[in-house]
Amino acid sequence: MTEYTVLEAITAAMSDAMTADRSVVVLGEDVGVSGGIFRATQGLQQEFGPERIIDTPLDEKGIVAHAIGMGLYGLRPVVEVQFSGFIHDAFEQIMFCGSKYRWLTGGEYSCPMVLRAPSYGGIKGGFWHSQSPEAYFLHGGGIKVLTPTTPEDCYRSLLAAIADPDPVLVIEPVPLYRSLRGEFERDGVPIELGTARTVREGSDVTILTWGPQVLQVTAVTESMAAEGSARCEVLDLRSLVPLDLDTIVKSVRRTGRVLIVHEAARSGGFGAELATLIQHKAFGWLHAPIERVTGHDVPYNFSTGDEFYRPDPVRIRAGITRLMEFEF
Amino acid sequence: MTLRRFSLMSTSSEGFAGAPRAAQPTPLSQAAELGIIQRLTQDGELIGDDPPAMDPGVARRIYETMVTTRLIDERGWELQRSGRVEFWIPMRGQEASHVASAAAYDLEDWVFLASREAGVMLWRDAPLVQLFAQIFGRADEPLRGRRLPLLFGDRSRNIVPCMTQVGAYIPHAAGAAWASRLQGEQRAFIVYFGDGATSRGEFHSAMNFAGIHRPPIVFFCQNNGWAVSTPNSVQTATETFAEKSAAYGLPGVRVDGNDFLAVYETTARLRERSISEGPTLLESITYRLGFHTSSDNPDLYRTTDEAASWQEWDPITRARRFLERYDAWDADQDEALISTRRSQIGEAISAAEKLPKPSPEDQFSDLFATPNRMVEEQRVQLIDDLNGATP
Repeated sequence: MTEYTVLEAITAAMSDAMTADRSVVVLGEDVGVSGGIFRATQGLQQEFGPERIIDTPLDEKGIVAHAIGMGLYGLRPVVEVQFSGFIHDAFEQIMFCGSKYRWLTGGEYSCPMVLRAPSYGGIKGGFWHSQSPEAYFLHGGGIKVLTPTTPEDCYRSLLAAIADPDPVLVIEPVPLYRSLRGEFERDGVPIELGTARTVREGSDVTILTWGPQVLQVTAVTESMAAEGSARCEVLDLRSLVPLDLDTIVKSVRRTGRVLIVHEAARSGGFGAELATLIQHKAFGWLHAPIERVTGHDVPYNFSTGDEFYRPDPVRIRAGITRLMEFEF
Repeated sequence: MTLRRFSLMSTSSEGFAGAPRAAQPTPLSQAAELGIIQRLTQDGELIGDDPPAMDPGVARRIYETMVTTRLIDERGWELQRSGRVEFWIPMRGQEASHVASAAAYDLEDWVFLASREAGVMLWRDAPLVQLFAQIFGRADEPLRGRRLPLLFGDRSRNIVPCMTQVGAYIPHAAGAAWASRLQGEQRAFIVYFGDGATSRGEFHSAMNFAGIHRPPIVFFCQNNGWAVSTPNSVQTATETFAEKSAAYGLPGVRVDGNDFLAVYETTARLRERSISEGPTLLESITYRLGFHTSSDNPDLYRTTDEAASWQEWDPITRARRFLERYDAWDADQDEALISTRRSQIGEAISAAEKLPKPSPEDQFSDLFATPNRMVEEQRVQLIDDLNGATP
């Protein structure tokens, strides 16, 4: 077992996939010679050549649209969207073209394509460089949405995304790129999509989260468990489409309390969908209304820092306490 | 101040009050001066000394396909007007532009369609009943009735249907061409789009990437004069659409799109070039003689004089005159063709109309390669609800 950062794990996944399958190509702004602005593709152009690690013009819509064509023709393009704040230029291409070819053509054409979207706040990046855009891509179907966090999950999720016959959006945790390390066997084995990871077990509250919030939530729940104030079960969803609803429902039926923590703005966020699914599948088991601790319905901030925008330990703890103290 | 401005605008802008725009003369009568490649006069006489670079058999087959396309268009329009077909996209006037260009391509080449190219399906031997099954939205056609009438596609014939957002698919075609070249193939690609599509960001993206990466493709812009009610002059300030290619380091060529010989020869040459040297933007100058769609009314925005001036350059008439001059066609053959195709179309309509429509459950397939749980639950719920099974 070797230790990798999140970034090294992502690079390893692309390198392993490209070695195993000649149809895998990587394209994006600055991904070639410079190895990407985060260095996620560092060394890959030297290894695989400029025809497979392709520097493109500065045009997110154009990059995704050409990747769609490559996917239609049988390649496995992996697009690096430099920051997920820039992905919306390609929104129509993703949601009204790439994710719909299979359905619109009755299964005649398909569009395997991976979009790597460096995401989330906490990097002093301001609005455009700090985005948690998953909810936009959960509406209307045809694209899978993965939210891996640990180095191993990032490695195996990206491998699964590249092997998938449909478009996959991978929301990557920029703030953890270099700070989070983890050991795993670099064996080329993809994750089974749609499986949540139980980070810690508990009987009082089920916490559903993804991305860098997994770490914050885990830290808060560990200290609350040590204090004896709440025993929380933490589920790192890892994948929103497909969703591991069975694991969620099983946990909720055991704890009867649910906290959803996501960085994205609250209204219309995936937390709303989760809450509806849970109340439908586990209504009789709930002891309290489902709580959400999320980003606010305002943009990520720069000068005051986005720590008052993103869920933080204080707000996560407050959310858990509200659930524990709720009385009918 | 506001009032003054308003009065200035309303007196100085011709057509502002909603009258149809003044007729624009067809550029086909000044093709040589305008640098438009033209090989046939209005009467089908050959222009220039070069013999036609088109096999007589191919010429006849293009002509027959053009006529069939016209007959489908006429019959389909009637079906729409009588309520048997939901929607129609007229193709009248653009038959040479799309059929002769498709004929310049090999069957293993890939074609990305826009919306007025039924003749490409015919050229690639799609049966009439398949076309009408698509038009009637029946389950038993390649796209399972999921697209509006005439938005054809067929994987077995290397035909990709358009994404309906005009021009959004231009880079898909270029990306596929790029992928083919990366795999070391010698395959060629063509993508059809209209004059209006050149205003979309994806046109820019495709041209810009193509200038750099040189995929083997012809960007085939069918300039039919109008994007719904928007004429060329309101679409762009450039004199031509072809010249836009210069900004991307690509050649741009203009061809008389109502001249089947010029379209065939030019497209064949640019197809070859796309493989050896790289892509070209080809502006095919044609005219939509009919409505934009069955929901349109061209009388609101253009004069009948304009359409009449283009009618004189009807691509089918010109092609027939050319074939007759070379003794490759005669009036008896023409009559026989029309009568045979009319009855074949009638039979195809009867057969296609009898085919079953997709079931309510059909919508749930093909979203992903493998069924998605959420969608599967919705499918089961729908069936239960329809069966009255929900307590």
